[in-house]
Amino acid sequence: MKWPASISIKQIALAFIAGLLVLVSLTGYFAAYQTRAVTNSLAQHNRSAAQSELAAAVQRLLSQTEEQAINLAHWDETRQQLVLPEYYTYWRDQRVYESGMLNSRFARAALYAQSGMLLAPSPANNSFPARLPPFQASSWLVNEAGAIALYYAFPVYDNEQRQALLGHGLIKLDFMPALLQQEVLHFSDTSSVSLALKPGEILAAQELFSRLSFSAHPDLNQLRFQTILSRTLLGLFVLLAATTLLGFLAYDRLLMRPLGQLSQDIDAMQHGRFNPNPPRSPALRISELENIRRSLHDYQLQLRELHGSMENQNREFHSQARQDALTGCHNRRAYEEDWDDFRKKLETSPQGVAFLLFDCDRFKTINDTYGHAKGDRVLSIIADALVMALRANDRLYRLGGDEFATFLSRTTPAQAKQVAQRCQSLIDAAGFTELGIVEPVGLSIGIAFCAADQLEHIDELPKQADIAMYTAKQPGRNRIALYGEDTERASQTLVASRETSALFQALAAPGMIEMHYQAIHGLPGRQVDYYEALARIRYHGDLMLPEAFLPVVSSRRLETEFDMAVLHQVDADLSSGLLPTGAGISVNLSAQSISRPEVVSHLLELSRHGARHPLMLEITETSLITQMVEVSTYLELLRTVNYRIAMDDFGTGYSPLRYLVDLPVDVVKFDISLVNKLGKDNRAGQVVADFARMMSEAGYSLVAEGVETETVLCKVESLGIAHAQGYLLGRPVPLAELAASLARVPAPNALPDAGSSVLARTPDGKNDPQAVEKRDQESQQTKQGQAE
Amino acid sequence: MRIVLFCLLISVFPAAAHALIVQQEMRPGITAGAEYLIGERSKPAVLLLHGFLQTRDFPTVATLARGLQDAGYPVLVPTLSLNIPNRAQSLACEAVHRHSLDDDVAEIGRWVGWLKSQGHHSIVLVGHSFGSLQLLAYLSLKPDAAVKAYIGASLIEAQIGTTERPALIAQLEERVRGKQRALVNQTLSFCGKYPSTPEGLLSYVHWDQTRLLTALKHSPVGVKLIMGSADNMLEVGWIKALLNMRTPMAIVKGASHFMDGAHEFDLLDHTLRHLETIKAPLSR
Repeated sequence: MKWPASISIKQIALAFIAGLLVLVSLTGYFAAYQTRAVTNSLAQHNRSAAQSELAAAVQRLLSQTEEQAINLAHWDETRQQLVLPEYYTYWRDQRVYESGMLNSRFARAALYAQSGMLLAPSPANNSFPARLPPFQASSWLVNEAGAIALYYAFPVYDNEQRQALLGHGLIKLDFMPALLQQEVLHFSDTSSVSLALKPGEILAAQELFSRLSFSAHPDLNQLRFQTILSRTLLGLFVLLAATTLLGFLAYDRLLMRPLGQLSQDIDAMQHGRFNPNPPRSPALRISELENIRRSLHDYQLQLRELHGSMENQNREFHSQARQDALTGCHNRRAYEEDWDDFRKKLETSPQGVAFLLFDCDRFKTINDTYGHAKGDRVLSIIADALVMALRANDRLYRLGGDEFATFLSRTTPAQAKQVAQRCQSLIDAAGFTELGIVEPVGLSIGIAFCAADQLEHIDELPKQADIAMYTAKQPGRNRIALYGEDTERASQTLVASRETSALFQALAAPGMIEMHYQAIHGLPGRQVDYYEALARIRYHGDLMLPEAFLPVVSSRRLETEFDMAVLHQVDADLSSGLLPTGAGISVNLSAQSISRPEVVSHLLELSRHGARHPLMLEITETSLITQMVEVSTYLELLRTVNYRIAMDDFGTGYSPLRYLVDLPVDVVKFDISLVNKLGKDNRAGQVVADFARMMSEAGYSLVAEGVETETVLCKVESLGIAHAQGYLLGRPVPLAELAASLARVPAPNALPDAGSSVLARTPDGKNDPQAVEKRDQESQQTKQGQAE
Repeated sequence: MRIVLFCLLISVFPAAAHALIVQQEMRPGITAGAEYLIGERSKPAVLLLHGFLQTRDFPTVATLARGLQDAGYPVLVPTLSLNIPNRAQSLACEAVHRHSLDDDVAEIGRWVGWLKSQGHHSIVLVGHSFGSLQLLAYLSLKPDAAVKAYIGASLIEAQIGTTERPALIAQLEERVRGKQRALVNQTLSFCGKYPSTPEGLLSYVHWDQTRLLTALKHSPVGVKLIMGSADNMLEVGWIKALLNMRTPMAIVKGASHFMDGAHEFDLLDHTLRHLETIKAPLSR
């Protein structure tokens, strides 16, 4: 049996009461048992007494009958009737009673002649046998039509010496009345006395008692004793029960309730549910409990003060945690919590919901142009304007950077558009010129709406608003787009297009992405140094080029997913072993992906191929990098595992010079537009040439992209650019074809020279210290020269 | 006549050793008994008869019998059967009385005969109360010659209460003539209710005081009456009537009808005194 760890005071009280009741019940049962035993004994004694007195009564009756018979037998008049029976009826009906020979009204007498014949017929109501029954015994009983008759026969002689038999006498007695009329039956219940005798059956008198049934009178004293005892026990039980109940009530009121209340208060305090305003409970009657109550009350008051203070602090912390420090509006955490709560509320209160996503146009340019401080100020003004434009209960959330969002409840698409237009109007009217910003600061707003009967799609609203927002950003738009309405045309090109389908299928099935490898040649020898992995999508047998699907990737904000798919495919190619050892691979990676931990994690995993295939990351669209510090950290991390970092498309709007300075870049790939300038003998070509030379001298390894003519190639070579890439030197080819071509070409010509390769690393994974040192020294010299 | 004699010797009491119980069948089925107290053969035998409906065990009679036996007289004390076999108990007034004075007289004759058969030729009849009447009735008929004397104690007539005797006699005679067997309830002697056959009752009713006086006057033997001065059962003037008839009589002062108590000795003394006057019987 397992005992509970602890039991309540109420259980103890109930157990005590139960035990008490059990004890009383046992005592009562014992008393009742003893009483019953005494009662049974008394009843047995009573029955014995009844039996004795009944036996005595029967015996007395038989003796009386016998005595009467003897008297009759010796009575002169009896003899006279047997001799001279003329007046027998007078004797039978009168004399025997007058003389006192028969002193019972239940007795009758008859005389029989010596021959056994009745002297005279007996009356109908009191018949005697016409002939003396030949019964052996002198007395017997007969059931005559339900009445028990006792017969006693006796001989009558002529004198005391019995010399001659004169005849017989027969006494008939109504047995039961004669027996029961005796006033000696005190213990027997006369109504219960009966003789088991069948009609006509004859029973010898000596066997009479065996057939006699009876019951004893209940003993009045015994009944009185039982009644008194029962009442006493009942009264005792009631008194005890009442006392127990009162005791329990007092116990409950004085001890259990106060203790329970104190326990509840302590439990509540333990679980932080204490009442900040504890009522002034009445004083307890038990002094020890009163002391505890007072102490607890004082403790509660102290806790209340402490709780109030902590609540204020928590509110402040909570507010701060949900507030964007820069703009004062709600931050992303608040957005996520409120959005979850709002969606739950919609389950019970369906309503039309609009999700508005705001994005500042050209904010990065402003930020880059006017500095972060003014950029922050712009964001604050935008936030203030949006808060003013929104309805009273609407909340504005800053999701990150220059992206804001809000969701409008109980609204319609038209109302949402009105709110968006009001936002734009207030932004347009904002005084950005006071900050010295001359460019117009615009706001693109994407709206997604979900009707009350379509709330199952509520989770898609942020994505739809995102798409709408990018639709709004497209040139020619009025910068407000409602998903489903304004994105209808865009959906035809972005969502429902063949490229989109191909892209999504490729992301779902990685095997659809094929990597084509384009050789990058070292200059001036023009030998293959490494290969750039370029993604293609095999869709229904056709090869889809990046120009077709990259806009979809961009518009759908699927850069990370796409880059992850590319990395998987490159990993698969490298793991296939088709590429010979030493063949370096350069992989393109969008600026958005490089800040995603899962991408970095995959890159770290991919670095296991670094021993056989030197790896390079080409960061595209670096201008979209918003978290410069994190990205630099990640790139440094990747460099430690022998990745080389290249800035792709340098010279275009996506690769500002600032990022070249801030990021740990090893290789700079000149955009094809810059490379094409080299082929022209003009000032632009001269600038590019000088810049390339300066970059080379600063230690950056340069790669010229898009070299398609011999003229450009010669110019590139003349500028000392280390690598060139373009259709002139080689087109991208599938892995199998590349592997086949490498297998046909002798190894020294086909494989890059690991030692002179731009992918070359020191054994510890660092860049070539001589090259870095050289680049740093030259950079220093250049800065000094510029300073001079 | 068949005489059955039972002699029971009771050795416990010496007196009883001189007594016999005698039984005679008086009529078919009716046996009567008597106690015979043996006395001196030289003295006259006494036939002592009890009173109305009594037995020989009546105290006055029993005491007198013992006294006479003690005095040496043979005494026969019968119990009239009253038509009851071996009657041993005094008969209740309310009992069926089937007997008559004729039956009583016949039984007296039988007992006188029995005494004679026992060799007693001098017999003195002594009666008490109604027994005195019955003995006188016997003497009025043809008494045995052996009867020598008559002593009547507390002699009384057959009293019938307030009923007119002639009318009663006529009524009874009518019944007898009509052979009506229904019992007649009539006061007789001390019995207020005396159910009897008409002829039985009639036999007693005839014996009024006159009849008694006549019988006394014509008695064939010497008569001696012993009367109690305090006998309130007697009709007023009965003793005076007897005295007027010059009947030899001794009056015991203060004695009641039953001569009980100390008067039993007076009765005995007067009886013995009279017996002594009787000549001793002749030897055979």
